[in-house]
Amino acid sequence: MVDFISVAIVLLAASSLLLPLLQLTKGGSWRLPGYVLALVLSAVLVLVGLSTVSPTSVTWFGSLLSDDQLGGVFALVTVGVTLAVTVASFETQRGSSNPVYYSLLSFTALGMLLLSYSQDLLMLFVAWELMSLPTYVLAGFDKKQRSNEAAVKYAIIGAMSSAIILYAISLAYGLTGSTQISAVVQGFYQLLATQSHSSALASLAILLFVAGFGFKMAIVPFHMWIPDAYEGAPTTVSTLLAAATKKAGFIAAIRVILAITTVYVLTRSPLFTMANVFAVLALLTMTVGNISALTQRSMTRLLAYSSIAQAGYILIGFVAYSANPGSTAATIGMTGAILHVINHAVLTSAAFLVAALVIMQLKRDDLGAYNGLGRGMPITAFTMSVAMLALAGVPPLNGFWSKLLLFLSVANGPFGWLALAGILNSALSLGYYGWVVKRMYFDERESSERVAEPMWFVLIFAVLVGLIIGIGLFPQQAINFASGAVSNIGH
Amino acid sequence: MSFVLSLLVFLPLAATPLIYIITKMNKRWGIYSSFALGVIVFLIAAYVSWKVYAAPPAGGHYLFQEKFSWINFQFLGLDYFLGVDGLSTPLIFVSALLTVLVIVGSRELIDHHEAEYFALIFLFEGAIMGVFTSLNLILFYIFWEVVLIPMFLFIGVWGGPRRKYAAMKFIIFTYSGSTIMLLGFLYVYLGMSGAGMTPSFDIPSLAGRIPLGMQYLPLLASFIGFAVKLPLVPFHTWLPDAHVEAPAPISVLLAGVLLKMGGYGFLRIALGLFPNASAQYGWLFLALGLFSMFYGAFAAVLQKDLKKMIAFTSINHMGFVLFGAYATIVSGSLLGIQGAIFMMFAHGLAVGCLFMLSGYIHHQAGTREIPLLKGLGTTMPRTATVLVLASAAAMGLPPFASFLAEFLVITAGISAYAIAAISVLVPVITAGYFLWMIKRTVFSPASAGASVHDLSWTDVAAFSAYLIPLVVVLVASYLILAPALPVATFLKGLA
Repeated sequence: MVDFISVAIVLLAASSLLLPLLQLTKGGSWRLPGYVLALVLSAVLVLVGLSTVSPTSVTWFGSLLSDDQLGGVFALVTVGVTLAVTVASFETQRGSSNPVYYSLLSFTALGMLLLSYSQDLLMLFVAWELMSLPTYVLAGFDKKQRSNEAAVKYAIIGAMSSAIILYAISLAYGLTGSTQISAVVQGFYQLLATQSHSSALASLAILLFVAGFGFKMAIVPFHMWIPDAYEGAPTTVSTLLAAATKKAGFIAAIRVILAITTVYVLTRSPLFTMANVFAVLALLTMTVGNISALTQRSMTRLLAYSSIAQAGYILIGFVAYSANPGSTAATIGMTGAILHVINHAVLTSAAFLVAALVIMQLKRDDLGAYNGLGRGMPITAFTMSVAMLALAGVPPLNGFWSKLLLFLSVANGPFGWLALAGILNSALSLGYYGWVVKRMYFDERESSERVAEPMWFVLIFAVLVGLIIGIGLFPQQAINFASGAVSNIGH
Repeated sequence: MSFVLSLLVFLPLAATPLIYIITKMNKRWGIYSSFALGVIVFLIAAYVSWKVYAAPPAGGHYLFQEKFSWINFQFLGLDYFLGVDGLSTPLIFVSALLTVLVIVGSRELIDHHEAEYFALIFLFEGAIMGVFTSLNLILFYIFWEVVLIPMFLFIGVWGGPRRKYAAMKFIIFTYSGSTIMLLGFLYVYLGMSGAGMTPSFDIPSLAGRIPLGMQYLPLLASFIGFAVKLPLVPFHTWLPDAHVEAPAPISVLLAGVLLKMGGYGFLRIALGLFPNASAQYGWLFLALGLFSMFYGAFAAVLQKDLKKMIAFTSINHMGFVLFGAYATIVSGSLLGIQGAIFMMFAHGLAVGCLFMLSGYIHHQAGTREIPLLKGLGTTMPRTATVLVLASAAAMGLPPFASFLAEFLVITAGISAYAIAAISVLVPVITAGYFLWMIKRTVFSPASAGASVHDLSWTDVAAFSAYLIPLVVVLVASYLILAPALPVATFLKGLA
């Protein structure tokens, strides 16, 4: 039996290490490293896809990693986004002969791949760092002042969140004597059943995990670095941060935190359940994200706040799951959450890559650059409109179905107010998503000439719009795919 | 199983890119092919309407049913479910007819981005057909939302000076209303599932099965969605802006087709699914309808812009729809719902005609301000004739169908509450402001040196296509009233 995932890991590790060597070849084509990485990532995508069709649940390295469908979904999403970013980089990195850029992308993809399949806290942490460290460099890759500022800010916050996670892991190991996630979860359940100092420490560890992963997931109040980093970093890298590494935060949270969620946090008061913690975080995240997005003047900042708001919707699934794991509502909620992860990756990639193309061609990031874009860059503007409407949850595009499942999972029960808040937030979000569409089609452009739309970008846009509309019209397969992953949650 | 309704919905949708490409290559051919496609869709709609007239389905049953499982996941079952009855066919017929007439009218009035325009017309038509034929609440909601996108672009791209403001206001009002409506649908589904009943989104299998306690909140939620669309005062403020800014052909679609979604929703969903709660608050809905009628009429008196005046006439007429629908629930007189359906048909054509005419007048006289339009009777005799006839249709004068619609609704209203007799004042006020408008524009001396182009005979023929059906359905009122009877009986029986 062929082990697809190990082949994928080896391929990515080889490309990460060998790509910088291309710098040694004098007079080599600047295109070559990008093409090589795109080929490797496509191969990895196929391998991961094959393994997701029939997950083997094989474990490697003393069960550090295991091949399940939950990991497969996240591996597909993160590697897919990296592939889109790589292809877009053919254009944005045009003429720059620095293969290190592609090597760093490859390292990030490897980190995310390993993280998706991690079954052990230490493996998870190593993968987390493997994913994060290259992105700190990538964020500053422009070497402009804004880019450097973004990179430093991101690196400091990232280091802090890593420290928090590491502390939580050390608490978990100290309390349960294991770093294997399933063993830690069992140990936590036993500890939390009693009331002691150890159970308080266990609760603390859980909250530290929430905070540590929360930085990557863009959850309010751990979100403040996001807009600055997304705005300052090269926009292709922002795409990677928003659409891929953020999703890696979600897989980590699903693997670690969701497995131990029925418990009370800190005290045994019914107010302090994990479901309530998630509900408050979800409400804050959606609302703060949407309201802040309304007032933004630059596209990347608007998208940054939009992606914060979308993280809030995903958390609704966490609420449904932790309120009553094993119930139908939990299955629907987590299916919605995972589907929304997939959809949001597609939509954010589309929106950020549009922003990247506009910045590349027009050298502008303010919303005014989008005025009359429907005439200057028709394909780009169309892609952006579809992505914006889908992010707002307008049917029959893909974002509608995941939101429907998410709201459906909590609408009937103690968290009905969260569904109402989610729906009102969706309506509110059309205020800025619709505004972008309005700018592109209703407002006049300063110059009337057509702006070039490079082939590679058009190719990615076509694939992404196809996914948005395709999943929107035929959601059954996507729902089945996401719900297959839900069965891997918990132990 | 027949696929006629799917054809009705997906033929226009599938033709959208084709029309775009043809019009992009050659504008003239684009208009011809749009017209041909519009006529084909109209013929299908006419066939469906005729079949429903020939053998009206019993109350709560539907013809041309199509049902497939679309999404099946956990306890969530979504069907692709279409069907028609005597409530939907008049609306399907009038929508298809107006689409053809709008294409004819657009050839002169739309002068930029024609390819996008004609493509969006068919996106709009397909989605509207979907709204009027869907028997599954989620499918209904999806088509309902898809309708917004072309309308948003129509107003924003082809509109007047304040088009951007009007388009944003339109989308924010209607999208907020409809998301709340969706929440109501989800509430019903989850509530029934939680109470151990088989949940469903299918309208036929929900009718009469939702317990009273579970009707109040979804009634309120769907009321907000439908009241914004209808529009009911005080949810109406987007409408005058949208109408004034929209190009004339789009105003026709807005008033003639889009507003009907609200009236249809009230009858099909508010009355059809939440009948007991509706009956309990019947007096409130009657009062809201009455208020809208008076408000629309009084506000129209004050308007100087011809188009704004017609827009407020729409609010006035759509108040009749709500009033008639709930008059039946309160009094048991079937005339109310029959009158409401009749009103939706008549209003679509009468007000559609007026809006299109206001576009021509604006195009040719350069203004829509009533005080500035003088002596149309001498300078533009054909235009003036059509204006007088269309105004008569909107006022509810025989031989136009609005007369019977208003008569039926008011009769049912009086049998509900005697005090509702004051509603007879509404047609009086309406006649008053229309006659005043005609006096000022048609029968006034022409200002010196005014030379304007009159309607061509082709245009006159197009305008008679709005007015002739109104006369026909008054003479042969059974064409609409007979299929509407089982619907009215069924809805009354539920309450």
